[in-house]
Amino acid sequence: MNVLIVEDSRMDSVLLARMLSVGFPGAHVQQIRSLAEAEALAAKEYFDVIICDLHLPDSEGLSSFTRLRAAAPRSATLVISGTNDHDLAVEAVREGAQDYLVKGKFDALELRHSIRYAMERHRLQLALQRSERHYRRLLEAITDYIYRVSVRDGRAAQTEHSPTCIAVTGYTPEDYQTDTELWLRMVHPEDQADVVQQAERAARGEAVPPIEHRILHRDGSLRWVRNTVVPHFNEGGELLGYDGLIRDISARKLAEEQLVRSEAFYHSLVETLPQHILRKDLNERFTFANQRFCQLVGKRLSDLVGRTDFDFYDSNLARKYQADDRFVIKSGQTLETTEENQAPGGEKRYVNVIKTPIHDARGRVIGIQGIFWDITEKKRAEEQLRHANEELRRSHEELKSAQLQLTQAAKMESIGTLAAGVAHEVKNPLATLTMGLNYLERNVSAADENIALVLHEMREAIGRADKVTRGLLDFASSRQMDVRRENLNNILEQTLVLLRHKLNEQHIELITHFARDLPDVSVERSQIQQVFVNVLMNVLHALESGGTVTITTSSERLSRSLHSEGSRTSRQIFVGNTVVSTCIEDSGPGIPEENLAKIFDPFFTTKPTGVGTGLGLPVSKKIVELHGGAIEVSNRREGGVRVVIMLPAERPL
Amino acid sequence: MKKKVLLVDDEKSFTSLLKMNLEQTGRYEVRAENWAEDALSAAREFRPDIMLLDIIMPRMPGGNVVAQFSSDPELKDLPIVFLTAAIQRSTVAAHDGIICDHPCLAKPASVNEIIEMIEKHAVSTT
Repeated sequence: MNVLIVEDSRMDSVLLARMLSVGFPGAHVQQIRSLAEAEALAAKEYFDVIICDLHLPDSEGLSSFTRLRAAAPRSATLVISGTNDHDLAVEAVREGAQDYLVKGKFDALELRHSIRYAMERHRLQLALQRSERHYRRLLEAITDYIYRVSVRDGRAAQTEHSPTCIAVTGYTPEDYQTDTELWLRMVHPEDQADVVQQAERAARGEAVPPIEHRILHRDGSLRWVRNTVVPHFNEGGELLGYDGLIRDISARKLAEEQLVRSEAFYHSLVETLPQHILRKDLNERFTFANQRFCQLVGKRLSDLVGRTDFDFYDSNLARKYQADDRFVIKSGQTLETTEENQAPGGEKRYVNVIKTPIHDARGRVIGIQGIFWDITEKKRAEEQLRHANEELRRSHEELKSAQLQLTQAAKMESIGTLAAGVAHEVKNPLATLTMGLNYLERNVSAADENIALVLHEMREAIGRADKVTRGLLDFASSRQMDVRRENLNNILEQTLVLLRHKLNEQHIELITHFARDLPDVSVERSQIQQVFVNVLMNVLHALESGGTVTITTSSERLSRSLHSEGSRTSRQIFVGNTVVSTCIEDSGPGIPEENLAKIFDPFFTTKPTGVGTGLGLPVSKKIVELHGGAIEVSNRREGGVRVVIMLPAERPL
Repeated sequence: MKKKVLLVDDEKSFTSLLKMNLEQTGRYEVRAENWAEDALSAAREFRPDIMLLDIIMPRMPGGNVVAQFSSDPELKDLPIVFLTAAIQRSTVAAHDGIICDHPCLAKPASVNEIIEMIEKHAVSTT
């Protein structure tokens, strides 16, 4: 046995200890002189008894006691007080002290009795507390009680309630005994009629189904109960009475109500949203669909559940849908995509789909949920917009190209006017110069070398100027042409005759492949000849130190469109027309890339001054285009230049 | 007997040099007019054997001069040779040397070519 004495007076403490040793030999006694120390010690060690003086240096009165009890609730406590502390001591007992002793008024024997009594009482108190706690827990867990009704002459005569009714209703069996209407009064007013009916039918001996109704707990709260009635008869079949089982179903009812509300909410959401909503299980079977979806596939929900996509959609679509479902199930990811949807008997529509996995309470995937809405109109609008854009872009390109042609044509026309003016203005002074030169030639002595040279250079210069203006007029003019049916092979042969000696001079090998049955062309002979001459002069210049020139004539159906800017002739060649082509290829150095674009620019030349006017190709191009044809110049892969002149073929006579 | 040549051209430097060249041969007498509207009165006065006529002139073009002369009973048969920068040699050649019913020589032309034309087309009016 462990005892703690909390007494600041040494003498009293010693006295107590001695008395204790008489009553309880072998008891372990500790003496403490302040409350704080006592609290600290009591928290660490267990004492069967604590004897505490109410007047301690570090506390006064009841507070010292209550604090100590809080520190050692499992110990029995006795308080010691002086003669003047009677009221305080009584209060201490009320606060939980088992007894109080007055100093100087007790001896060892009384102390012993007091302590024994205190310990016993304390033990009993602890047991009672434990029992109460247990009882209360039990009470809280009880949800049922039974009542028994004995029946006489078809009416309820007597009722008995089992003790657990208190847990469910808050009333005791005695309450029901004394207040014979309590059993009905505790029922919610709206449910009373049903309860009465159940009781009457039971009293008549009918088999009655259980009912669920509300009751008002004694504490004012509303409870839901399930009321099951079981009649019992004697051997003769006579009704003796009936038993009722009342079960508190408040928790369940609450959950039910919440569920119904939640379901109603979800249902309204799912049915009023302007989207199609569906759910499938892990086997691809529909477990749910909203009305919108049901209408789309033309089935009632009851006919839909348990079926698969293959029952509603074309098998290709169904396969696709199921593959998507499996992806969502396997990866646990959300799938968001645009796809086709063609309901049975419907047309092809486009929809936006979002599919998500459904999880159970444990987080495992148990199916998928899909939601989709129609975007066909939007998609169509987008496509139309794209088409319109494309159309716009194309017509814009055509417009630009037409504008370019028109600008070129206008430019050419003004160039023509300008050129004519310039040429005229230049030729008059040239005529004057010529006259002057003629005079000098006749009247100045040519014996002087220098004079002869000067006159020669002047003549050359005038000649060059004249040639340039002539070339300029050629380039700029769009005069009437005298066209006749001609055979290009003939014209070429004639041209070659003119140039043959030059070709030989420069050791140029000439290869010709003239097509037989070459269709005629409508041309002004001299002009086309000028074109050939211009091209061959370029060849001669390129093959200064010899080489090969190959001339091929052929005819074919045009398979690509040709560029022809600035041409406003009525004659043009289109894809599908037959053209007569003359191809002149040389084995020279070719045209440097940076010059290729400039070769048709007037006055562009790579020949030394005086040798070339830079007007040969521009004039040739003009002539060819006036004839409704086209000329193309390119570098050969093998090196050298290829010039192709195309002219529209005439129909055979 | 010197042939009389009436020269009608607005370019003064041209006409003075040509006159000088022609007269130096000793075979020609040349009168130069630099305004088209003076051609008619000059011709009546000078009585040329041939007129060399420019076409593009300020105030009055050569074509009008031709019209004037052809409606004049005395001058309608005077040979007229166009001497002009307005036409290319190649064009003239393509038309066998005749432009608008009259022989034509494209400028710039040498004195010898002009003399050739004069000899070919002039007629004596005496």
